[in-house]
Order: sequence, then C-alpha cells, then structure tokens
Amino acid sequence: MTLTAEEILERLKEKLGDAILNYEVKEYKMGVKRPRTYQEIWMEINRDAFRKAVEAIFEIDYPHLHFIAGEDVGEALTMIYSFGVFHSHPWGEVSIVMKLDLPKSNLVLPTITDLMIGAETNEREIREMLGVEFEGLKNKRHLFLPDDWSEGKYPWRRDEYGVEDMIKHTHKSVREIRKQRGEQNG
Amino acid sequence: MAKTTYYIPVGPIHPALKEPIRVEAEVEGEKIVKVDVKRGFAHRGIEYMGMKRNAIQTLYLSERICGICSISHPYAFVIGSEKALGIEAPPRAQYIRTIIAELERIHSHILWLGVIAHEIGFDPLLFWTWKGREKVLDILEAITGNRINYAMYMIGGVRRDLKESHIKALRDMITYYWEFTEHMKEVFLSDPVYKARTRGVAQLSKEMALKLNVVGPTARAAGIRMDVRQDIPYDAYADMDVKAIVPQDIVGEARGDAYDITMVRLYEIEQSLDIIEFCLDNLPEGKILAIPNYVALLNKIKKTEGEAIGAHEAPRGEVIHYLKYDGTRDGPAVWKVIAPSYNNINSWAPLLLGAEVADIPVVVAYIDPCMCCNDRVAVVEDSSGRLLDYSYLHKKAVEKTRKLEKELGVRR
Repeated sequence: MTLTAEEILERLKEKLGDAILNYEVKEYKMGVKRPRTYQEIWMEINRDAFRKAVEAIFEIDYPHLHFIAGEDVGEALTMIYSFGVFHSHPWGEVSIVMKLDLPKSNLVLPTITDLMIGAETNEREIREMLGVEFEGLKNKRHLFLPDDWSEGKYPWRRDEYGVEDMIKHTHKSVREIRKQRGEQNG
Repeated sequence: MAKTTYYIPVGPIHPALKEPIRVEAEVEGEKIVKVDVKRGFAHRGIEYMGMKRNAIQTLYLSERICGICSISHPYAFVIGSEKALGIEAPPRAQYIRTIIAELERIHSHILWLGVIAHEIGFDPLLFWTWKGREKVLDILEAITGNRINYAMYMIGGVRRDLKESHIKALRDMITYYWEFTEHMKEVFLSDPVYKARTRGVAQLSKEMALKLNVVGPTARAAGIRMDVRQDIPYDAYADMDVKAIVPQDIVGEARGDAYDITMVRLYEIEQSLDIIEFCLDNLPEGKILAIPNYVALLNKIKKTEGEAIGAHEAPRGEVIHYLKYDGTRDGPAVWKVIAPSYNNINSWAPLLLGAEVADIPVVVAYIDPCMCCNDRVAVVEDSSGRLLDYSYLHKKAVEKTRKLEKELGVRR
C-alpha cells in the first residue's frame, strides 16, 4: 500500500507540528502520449527536530536515501536530505526533501547510520567536504580526500575554510596572475 | 594452534577493475575476517568545478564523470535542470534520449558479463561477449559520432536527430541482440561451473540491501523491485510501463548472489531491446530542442531561481543529481552527484566478511563498480613477507573455478 504526498505530509505534520517551518508539494508531469504526474515533498524543518523527522519517515516506510547535500549560505550551512519512500511501486515513489539550517557556530547533527548503515558514505563525505560533525558516526576517516588533507579545509565552503587558495587557477591567464602578484610583464 | 591473521591490501591499481580503489583485508587462512575499503583515488572535485562553470559546460563535464555511463550523468543533469527551469523537451527528443540511454545499458551490461567471466577464469567468454558488444558501440558511433562521451544531450532536448538510416540500423541491431542474448543466457545461466562459482557468492539479503542503501541491479538481484524508470518515470519511460526485473519473477525466488545479478543483467538487455523497439515504433515527429539558441538558454538559467532532483536509472543503478540555480549565475550554485557505485560499494565490506580470498575478485566485480563515478583489492604481504599481488588473487579465483570444474566432472 502506498500513500500519496498529501497523506505523507499529514503524517509528518502530526508528528512534527511546528517544527515544519515551510513546505511545498511539487508536482511534475512526465510522458508524451500518456502524461501522468508524480509528486515530491519539499520542506524546511527546525534543526532540533531533525532526528524526529527522520524517525517519522522511517515509520512511514523504510526509505531509500537519495543524497545528503549542503550549501554554504554565509552565516549558516543549509543541509539538504532527500529520502525516497514507497520506491518499488510504479509511479509511487515520493521523494521527501528536507532542508535545515545549521549555524556555523554549531555544526553538529545526529547520525542516521544507526537506522541505515549505508548512510555512512554520505555522512563521511559531508563531514570532509563541509565540516559538519555527525554525532555517533563511528568511522570518521576521510572518504574521498587523502588522509593527509589539511585540517580545517573544506572544499565546499565559501568562507575562510574553503579551498580557494589551494587550487591552481588554470582558468586565469598568466598575465592576470602576474598582475595580481604585482609582477611586471615579460 | 595460535591464529595468525595476514593483512592483504588489494589496489589501488588492480587489473580487473578499470579504475583505482583499495580494499584492505585481514585474512585468517583463506577466510577474510576484517575489511576496509578506501575510496577517493579518482576524486577530481568535479562537483566543485561544476559550481564554477556555466550549465552547458557543466553538462558536458558531467559526461566525463564516467566513460561507461557517459549518458547517465548528463541524463540526470538534464532531467533535473528541466524540472528546475520548467522547460519540457520536445516529444521526439524525449524518445531519442531514451533510445540512447538504453543502448548504453546494453553495452554496459555486456561489458560486465565479460569482466565477470574474466574474473573467474573464462577468458574466451570475455572475448566473445566483448566482440558482441562492438555492434552496439558501432550504432552509438553512427548516431552520435563517438563510441563514448556522446555529447548528445542538451538541456531541453538533444543535439542530433535520428535519420532513417539510423532507424534501420537500430532495427537490425535489435534482431542481432535478440539472438546474441539468447546465446549468452545459455552460456552463462546453464553452465554448471559458472553456476557453482557464482551461486551463494556475494549473497545479499533483501533486508541488508535496503539497509546498505544499494541501488540498481544489486538491489534488484536481492529482490527489491526498485527501478527509477518504474518508480518515477521520465521521458519515453513514462509512456510505457517499465517493470523492474527481479529474480523472483524469473525463477520464483531471489537469492541476491552473483548468479542472480547475472540473470538480472541478462534479462535487462532484453528489456532494453523491447524499450528501443517501442521508441522506434512510436517515435514522434517534430523538433528536437526546446530552446535552440544556447545563449538564450543560458540567459534563462541566469534569471531562474529553482532547485530540483534529476534521477536516471543508469546501467549500474540510480544516478541522482541535485541542482540549484540561484538566479545570479548561468550555472548551478549547488550541484551534488550521487552515482550508483557510491552506494553499491557499501556492500563490499559486509559481503567480503567471511568470504574466501578467491572470492574477492567476484565480490568486487559483481556490483560493476565504477570508480570515476564513485570516485579493488590491494597488494598483500603475508607473515613470511611474501607479496600477494592481484595476479595471485586472480590465479586463486581461476584455481577455484578449475577445482569446481573437476569436481563437477566438466571437461574442457
């Protein structure tokens, strides 16, 4: 049995109440000869309710974790989690995309690896790329970055912790780089 | 007797895998007791690069994430972009995209069948399957101009049209592969040694598959009816009812081992042939690009604020791209790529635990790992300081196959 996006949203509202700050049900039409639609739930939640929200999703159906992503928006990091529930039903999969803001002063989230061990890969990647700590994550070794990667450098950050000063500026011309350094041409 | 464990690193360079990864195993005799997988040897920060380029450059950059699935990443990228920008590709373009994606599935699955045959020591089978694979590569070259990295897709359509001659060649190809796949099914699925060598190896239960978050044929072999083309269809897949291929529909039960995954892949080739035939029979007429002017397209992207998920069922499983356009740049402000091997490699550590050293190549190869997508087993030194390299492991795998042949009384 599958639930529609609205029904899932009702259940989440029941569980989370005010912790859902904002939501939207997006509908997409697909197909040429027999157009049909599917829906996605996009919601913003309070960071304190994160664990509760994930548990609520796991109660509805054992989900498939699509991805964990994050964006540096200045004062905070916006974390984006996407779960697919009711996969393996034709036209039935509903993606639940959860966004939450983490202030840079407190970049900590509870892990979800106790519910889904496969999420370890995602959490380790986010940890090294954005510097978010996951409470309860057992394996904290680097995933993609080398083991001797500089401490406190996170490639996806846009602030002083970013890697702007570590990359070679292949897209800049030699002239531009020399100008920047104050060197003379020739 | 005191138990001694040996440390066996495999990789990062390993001839069975086309790309680098490292598996570190601790073995007790033949049995593996501890495993650690190290990824990241092929990480080039493509997502970082994409966030600095415009959307069209990023689209072709995404094609270079992987050579074998070089249409899967652009597919997810264009689906996501079209959802975020609110544009729809013309019907003809949608059908052409589906045809190209299915051609890629055929060549990728045959490639895997050859690799797994090599891993267990059937080298003639490797050459025979790869010879059969040439046909689909020729077709792809005729249609797109390239054997890989086709540069065919564009946000809002495709860049090249299908000609009458292509359609004729595709129909010939379908007839050829129906015959070839029938033959492959006989060779792989009925062979007693192949069966003995893959039954029960790399066995993943349905529950474990869910928990490890695996996707694609790996999940389907474990009995999960999961297929993006069926769950959230797009393009021409939305016009037909694609059904996920699971072993319980073919033989009544799903065991989730290397034999089941072979079966799933073989039947999926036939499914792809059906899909291509449907697309050719129902190919709509008309234009192939929603916004033919690329400058206008980039301008539209620059003015649009939006985000979306694009998903595509690649030969190895689900490819997901998350894209966000922030209305200030003509490229994605945030771009997150999840490739199938990213999730499927999760299964290595639990599957290798308790397995034999001779099974390492099979376990490693059975998910059809793609390191450039994600980002093999290592050189081993035993207690006497002897180096065990990949050729040794491969030899062990072949020896096990030969032993089974002898036991089963198969003569070669």
